[in-house]
Amino acid sequence: MKRKKIILYVFLSLLVIAGAVGFYFYKEYNRTHKDTAKLKPDYTVTATGLLKEFETNEQTSNKKYWDKVLSVEGMVKEVTKDDRGFYAVILGDTAAMSSVRCSIDSAHSNEAVTVSRGLTVTVKGICSGYNADEMLGSDIILVRSVIDKK
Amino acid sequence: MKNIFLLAATLLFLATTGFTQKFYTKSGKIDFDATSASSPEKIEGVNRTATCVVDTKTGAIQFAVLMKGFAFERALMEEHFNENYVESHKFPKAEFKGTITNNETVNYSKDGTYSVTVKGKLTMHGETKDVETQGKLVIQGGKVNANASFNVLLSDFKIAIPGLVADKVSKTAKIIVSCSLEPLKS
Repeated sequence: MKRKKIILYVFLSLLVIAGAVGFYFYKEYNRTHKDTAKLKPDYTVTATGLLKEFETNEQTSNKKYWDKVLSVEGMVKEVTKDDRGFYAVILGDTAAMSSVRCSIDSAHSNEAVTVSRGLTVTVKGICSGYNADEMLGSDIILVRSVIDKK
Repeated sequence: MKNIFLLAATLLFLATTGFTQKFYTKSGKIDFDATSASSPEKIEGVNRTATCVVDTKTGAIQFAVLMKGFAFERALMEEHFNENYVESHKFPKAEFKGTITNNETVNYSKDGTYSVTVKGKLTMHGETKDVETQGKLVIQGGKVNANASFNVLLSDFKIAIPGLVADKVSKTAKIIVSCSLEPLKS
C-alpha cells in the first residue's frame, strides 16, 4: 500500500516536471519581441552625441551599444514611410549627412505620424549598429523603435 | 586671359551641378529566406535599412547592410540567426560591390523598365564570393526602383547549419532586394 503510494507520487511529480519543461520550450519557441515601449533604456543619449561617439571609436561603441535599448533625443530631419507602410524617423543635425535612423515598430506606426521635421523628440529603440559611409554620411540604426516623448 | 577664367568657372559650375549622376537610398529592403521544403515554419527575416548607391555613368552599384538589422518574427530565431549563423558581433556588415554589365542600355532620364545584369562581389560572414544576377530597374519620374533576387549557398560563406536542424534549414538562402533610389544631390 505504502509502496504504491510512493510510486504514484513519483509518477505525478515526473509528470508535472515534464509538463513544466514542455511549457517552457513551447513559450521560448513562440516568444516574440518585447514591446520596446515597455523596456527600460540602458542608455539615454542625444543623437549628435551618439554619432560623435561612434565616429570617434566605432569598435568600442559597437560593443557598448549593440542590442541595447537606447533612448535618443534629437531633432527630426525626416519621417519616411515605405510602400508597405513602415515608418522611419531620422534624427540628427539637419545640416549634416549623418543621422540616427530609427525604424518604427509597426505596432507604433500611429506615433510616427505625429512627428515631423524640425521637432525635437525622444525615440527609444534597439541599437543594431553603425553604417559608416563617407559619401552618404554615416548612420546609426535603431530597430523596433517607439516615440518616447514629444 | 579673362575668358579662360570664365570658361574654367563655367566648367566647374557644370561639373558640380548639372546632371545627376548618382542615385541612392538608405532605406532599401532586403529579404532573407532560408525556408526549405521540410521546414516546419518560415525562416525569413527582413532588413529595411540597407544602403544602396548606383552610379549611372559607370554602372557601379553598391549595397551595405547591418546584419543585426534583420528582423525575424520569432525572437528566438533572430537570436539564433545573429549568434549562431551569421555571427553578427564578429561580422556586423554585409556588402555587395558590383557593376551593371549592360548599363549602356539603361536610359536613366527616360521612364521605363529595364532588365539588367549585375555582377560583383558579395561579402558576408567574413567571406567574399562572386555573385551574378538578373535584376530590374524601373525608372519613373526621376526615381529609380531597383529589384533583384538571387540565391546564395550558405556554405560558400562558411555559415554552418547544425546537424540537428540540417533538414529544416535550407542550404541556400534566397536574397530579395528592393530599393527605391533618389537622386543624390551633391
